Amino acid sequence: MSTEPILEAHDLAKRYGRRTWALTGIDLAIPQGGITALVGPNAAGKSTLIKTWVGFERPTRGNVTVAGIDPQKDRSSVLGLVGYVPQSPSLYDGLSIEDHLDLAVLLRPEFDRAYALRRLDQLGIPAGQGAKSLSGGQQAQVALALALGTRASILLLDEPLASLDPLARREFLHVLTDAVRSEGATALLSSHIVTDVEQACDRLVVLGVGKILLHDTVSDALATHWLATEGAATPAGAAIGSFGGPSGERLTLVRQPASSVGPDLRPASLEEVVLGYLASGRVVPGEAAA
Amino acid sequence: MSRIGSWLILSFKLHRWEVLAAAAGVAILSAAMLWFTWQLRALSATDPGCVDPAAYAPGCSQLGQRFYELSSKAELLSYLSWLSPFVMGLVLGVPLVSREIEHRTAGLAWTLSRSRTWWLARRAAFLVLVLVVLLLVVAIVGEVLAFPQMPAQHLDRDFAWYGRRGGLIVVRGLAALGLGILVGAWLGRVLPALLVAIFASVLIFSGISLGMDRWMEGHAIVQAFDADRAGGRQLGERILLPSGELIDYGELQRRGLAYEVIQDDRLWARPEDIGHMDRLIGYDRYLVVPGSLYSQIVLDESAVVGGTTVLLALAAAAFVRRRRPG
Repeated sequence: MSTEPILEAHDLAKRYGRRTWALTGIDLAIPQGGITALVGPNAAGKSTLIKTWVGFERPTRGNVTVAGIDPQKDRSSVLGLVGYVPQSPSLYDGLSIEDHLDLAVLLRPEFDRAYALRRLDQLGIPAGQGAKSLSGGQQAQVALALALGTRASILLLDEPLASLDPLARREFLHVLTDAVRSEGATALLSSHIVTDVEQACDRLVVLGVGKILLHDTVSDALATHWLATEGAATPAGAAIGSFGGPSGERLTLVRQPASSVGPDLRPASLEEVVLGYLASGRVVPGEAAA
Repeated sequence: MSRIGSWLILSFKLHRWEVLAAAAGVAILSAAMLWFTWQLRALSATDPGCVDPAAYAPGCSQLGQRFYELSSKAELLSYLSWLSPFVMGLVLGVPLVSREIEHRTAGLAWTLSRSRTWWLARRAAFLVLVLVVLLLVVAIVGEVLAFPQMPAQHLDRDFAWYGRRGGLIVVRGLAALGLGILVGAWLGRVLPALLVAIFASVLIFSGISLGMDRWMEGHAIVQAFDADRAGGRQLGERILLPSGELIDYGELQRRGLAYEVIQDDRLWARPEDIGHMDRLIGYDRYLVVPGSLYSQIVLDESAVVGGTTVLLALAAAAFVRRRRPG
């Protein structure tokens, strides 16, 4: 995996209307290769960030680049590098899967129809079937196959797992990881389901209320974060945020190298890491967003 | 399959309901118009003298009555052919972008296609093709019906059924298509876009029509009220003052030249003024574009509507380039 950033955001802010800030000044550099999970609650700005990279949203402030190219200046070149899976699968009701592949070839002559078809064959999704009759999971798989068929080096997936059942989510992630590993592509997968992305992703970006709360590799995030229960001693300045545990107890996420961890702390799961950061970034009522 | 074949099939599938509805509408309208053409021609063949209003032969009353009835119904149909370009242009144009946004498929299409302008051009090209073919049928059938409906007139030099026959139907349809695409791209929802596009098309085409009337005044001639205006297009009444100045009735009122009596084509302030030429207000006249200018006026209006279409298409492309996919 290269450390060269392929997706970058510099002081990126996006406002909708006069008052609603979706992003409030994001600096982010996602390196080439592997799968990065973009995690955050609803309305955290995940979709806005991805859509800005695709060129669908215009930044209010700052800019983004894809492989060094600003999509606002050269959207065509950016789209040549990117395969995009939108939030809802959004296929054409009146077309079959085969028609979708034909349409993709028509819109992008270099689209690898055979590759996309092979991917769908492996999942047992018949190409002649109408898009309207597909299950949610199958529609997501078709959307992924369309993105993979572009043979793009960057895949941007905007919450494709949101409406899928656990089995469909697992299948989707399996296809995605297989494709990314075998093609050496870079994928950014936004989701608010942490347990799923834990197995599939190499890196983790936690986005809360329009700002980046954590950006780390999954392994480092797991190795350096710990949980302290109520009453346990937490090292000064190491506490990230507190949140309620499953039994109502108060848990505090602590960032600390493994070498200096006391006996009161236990390793945090990835979900707990995310919860701790989201708790730290919670908006205080009345606080200005930007 | 060739790329063109694939483009045609996929484009049809994406617009099948609008295309089928438009084709069915044209088929029904054309069939009805051709039936009237056949009926009117059959009557003309029975006794040509009975269908010429200028020379009704004796003993024609039944045939003439039948011809008149059919002719009136055929004229009603011609209003449908006048309406068809606006209806078809909007029905085909509005959903092109708005449905993509409403159904959230724009995100898929606009990332697969590197250029939204090309995407729009390809999609619109299919609709242009469909619209031109269907409206050409309406335009030709309109001409075919007009001949037996007005057997005594030279329709290539006649403003009768203006906009209800001939190429203007096709040109107006393309403008309506452009307007539909633009409004659809702007609003991003099919039904509201259709309603707004209907309203906008009334404004735009009324504006063009009024503008054309004003522009045609430059080509019009002044005719006495009893002159033969066959084939001409009457733009309105005017008053020819004794000084030779030509004014409209509004201007006449503004000048305080009230008249009480019109005798033949002469306007008098009071009944007792009749015959006193020094008290004559003016002569009632008609402003008429001669029928000989029919082809030129059709070409001129086609150029204006065509230019409007280009502007609408450019605006739609600019809008789609900047639009959020929903």
